[in-house]
Amino acid sequence: MAAADQTLGITAQQAGLARCNYCGALHRLPATEPCRLCGAKVRSRKRDSLQRTWAFLLVGLMAYVPANVLPIMKTTSFSGNTSDTIFSGVIALAQSGSVFVAIVVFVASVVIPVAKFVIIAGLALSLHFQWAMSEHTRHILHTITEFIGRWSMIDVFVVAVLAALIQLGAILTIEPGAGINAFALSVVFTMFSATSLDPRLIWDGAKSGQ
Amino acid sequence: MTANSNRKISFDDLVACASCDWLHYREIINRGARASCERCGHELYTRKPFSVDRTLAASLAGIVFLVLSLSLPFLALTRGGISSSISVLDAVSALWNGDMRWLGVLSLALIAVLPSLRLGLLAWVMMRLRYRMGVKPSMHVALRWAEWIEPWAMAEIFMVGVVVSLVKISALASLSVGPAFWALLGLIITTSLISVFYCKDSVWQLLTRHSA
Repeated sequence: MAAADQTLGITAQQAGLARCNYCGALHRLPATEPCRLCGAKVRSRKRDSLQRTWAFLLVGLMAYVPANVLPIMKTTSFSGNTSDTIFSGVIALAQSGSVFVAIVVFVASVVIPVAKFVIIAGLALSLHFQWAMSEHTRHILHTITEFIGRWSMIDVFVVAVLAALIQLGAILTIEPGAGINAFALSVVFTMFSATSLDPRLIWDGAKSGQ
Repeated sequence: MTANSNRKISFDDLVACASCDWLHYREIINRGARASCERCGHELYTRKPFSVDRTLAASLAGIVFLVLSLSLPFLALTRGGISSSISVLDAVSALWNGDMRWLGVLSLALIAVLPSLRLGLLAWVMMRLRYRMGVKPSMHVALRWAEWIEPWAMAEIFMVGVVVSLVKISALASLSVGPAFWALLGLIITTSLISVFYCKDSVWQLLTRHSA
């Protein structure tokens, strides 16, 4: 865990270098050629990072509305037809006594997406307006957004599994609803949004090395 | 390079932090050690023992588990004398048939295609390194892709989805898990082993040294 104790006290960009995002090879700026090692396009900072972050975030946010309003699952049985939204699915799970699983689904489908919207928007705003927020706090927040987003896909897979399994004709049939479409779209675009946000921008405004 | 103009520095002596771009001198670290960025604490490079061998072994095991988990049934249901069992591909086609074509394609990619591609590319690169079959430029591209795919390979998330579905319908019918369920569990274990064994920096260094 020992930190490398020798640093140059400047960033690669300040030294006139750019780090390849894939293999880490250093290149002299302006880097016009592809990476000599892995062939990727070399950029000192991600292109149009903030604009892309906002664009993907807005699409994710817009898709999150129908994801919650429209049913994600339609159940047909001889006792009648019911449809479930994300939220009513969580409630049904909790009422059936599976509180732990209800919490897992609630976290994956509600807490994580909402937290991600808030954190990414907060980070992007803090970069826009140069808010006084410690780089370390923002660094941790950024790491969280990259790590948690994919877990929101749980509900999509639940609907897929149930729709495939519960095909008992007139007795009981489950079909996917339009809401799950919108939900998957929202998760994918928020993941794009998180990867568009270049963490190096957080540190570019920092004054000193420590 | 201002302060050190008297010292000849090559690109190989320097390493920049992936997270904050802070520039460090590359140092020789002990086996099993990890160098982290002085400014933000992000990992700079590691030196994991037997990284190539172990990553190769884990990816090959992962491929076996993946093939099993895709081809065998993972859940079987019985209710009122009717029984049905489904495989991963059935779950995907349920979305396709339910007029959710793109979501079916997306799920197929996330559960089957991208995990296979990642394991296959990793195994191929590690195999060529392990048996000194020579470095080809396509190995760099393969490794780049394997790293890019990582967050999009969601077999373990699918597994959690299966468990949630089990709980959801346990009241409606009697359920039993099939062999693919355990294969999926094996896949999750091997996937996490890969992230323990895979030493990104050393592998790229190996590819550099041999291609130079």
